[in-house]
Amino acid sequence: MDYGIDVKEQEAVVQLKGRLTFNDHAKLRALIREMLQNKAKRQVLDLGALEFVDSAGIGMLLIAREEMANVDKQLVLRAATGQVKRVLTVAQLNKIVAIED
Amino acid sequence: MALASPSTGSLRGLGVPPDRVRRIAAALGLPEGELPAGDGRVVALLGDAEAAADPAHWARPFAAWIEAGPLDDDAVAAQVARAAQADLYACLTTATANQLHLAGRIVHAIDSHRPLAESQRDDIELVLHEAISNAVVHGNLQVEGMKGLSVDALDRFSAALAARMADPAFAARRVEVSCWLKPEGELLVEVADEGSGFVPQNRGEAGADASGRGLDLITAIARQVELLDNGRRIRIRFAL
Repeated sequence: MDYGIDVKEQEAVVQLKGRLTFNDHAKLRALIREMLQNKAKRQVLDLGALEFVDSAGIGMLLIAREEMANVDKQLVLRAATGQVKRVLTVAQLNKIVAIED
Repeated sequence: MALASPSTGSLRGLGVPPDRVRRIAAALGLPEGELPAGDGRVVALLGDAEAAADPAHWARPFAAWIEAGPLDDDAVAAQVARAAQADLYACLTTATANQLHLAGRIVHAIDSHRPLAESQRDDIELVLHEAISNAVVHGNLQVEGMKGLSVDALDRFSAALAARMADPAFAARRVEVSCWLKPEGELLVEVADEGSGFVPQNRGEAGADASGRGLDLITAIARQVELLDNGRRIRIRFAL
């Protein structure tokens, strides 16, 4: 998985690319650190270019959500398609995380 | 020495010394080297992950993938004979299975034998990936899942995974995947590991831990799921 962050006044948008699986623990750790450091209240993960996510990837997204909530930031998942959208649906993540088209 | 049947197919080395392939083929009475005509199947003997990186090696006529590297010739021959029991068969070390993204490779192979719709490919890859990840992480590497939802849990998981993956005593354990494409439109897959097994437990409140969703995803998507051999083998059925 690779990512790039675009920080604006109101929100930070993170573009995730490639595959997000249990092997990406170090990348996710670095990403969470960057999201905690920037000032934006809304941290949007744009999943449009993410091709594959697994259950551990979902778990790591939930860790990101929790860490944001601890410092009063909101995590939003946006633009999931294909396999990624399917997994978010099957895992019923909309009950826990804000999801936008 | 293990016995092979004519349906075993021919042997092809990928990153394995040719004289070794020849020796194992001769011991089993199998042809070696040339790709077969028609419906013949090929059993690939792999040296390492790099030697098996080409997608063309994960499609017809290839039907079995055995990592020969650390095994002696008799053990490889026994694996080749075992491969004949399934339509598709892979037996790799934990490190190689992880490095190759084995689930994606197997789905590519299934698709070449029986073409799948895109949504089927996605679902089968996810389920296979979850089963293989469980075999790799919790089975063979014996790394515990992420408890709670903190970055500390993520750090502990990272450290444990890296340490075990670097330890040959764990990383050389095998993951075995067998697939049967049934004529009645069913795909049967078994994934087995060499760990200490586990007893599935009812989880508490949903969303309380970062780990523990894999088996739920498998169960939600597959037609039927069975845990065998004290949790070391999972048998999954899909409608095709």
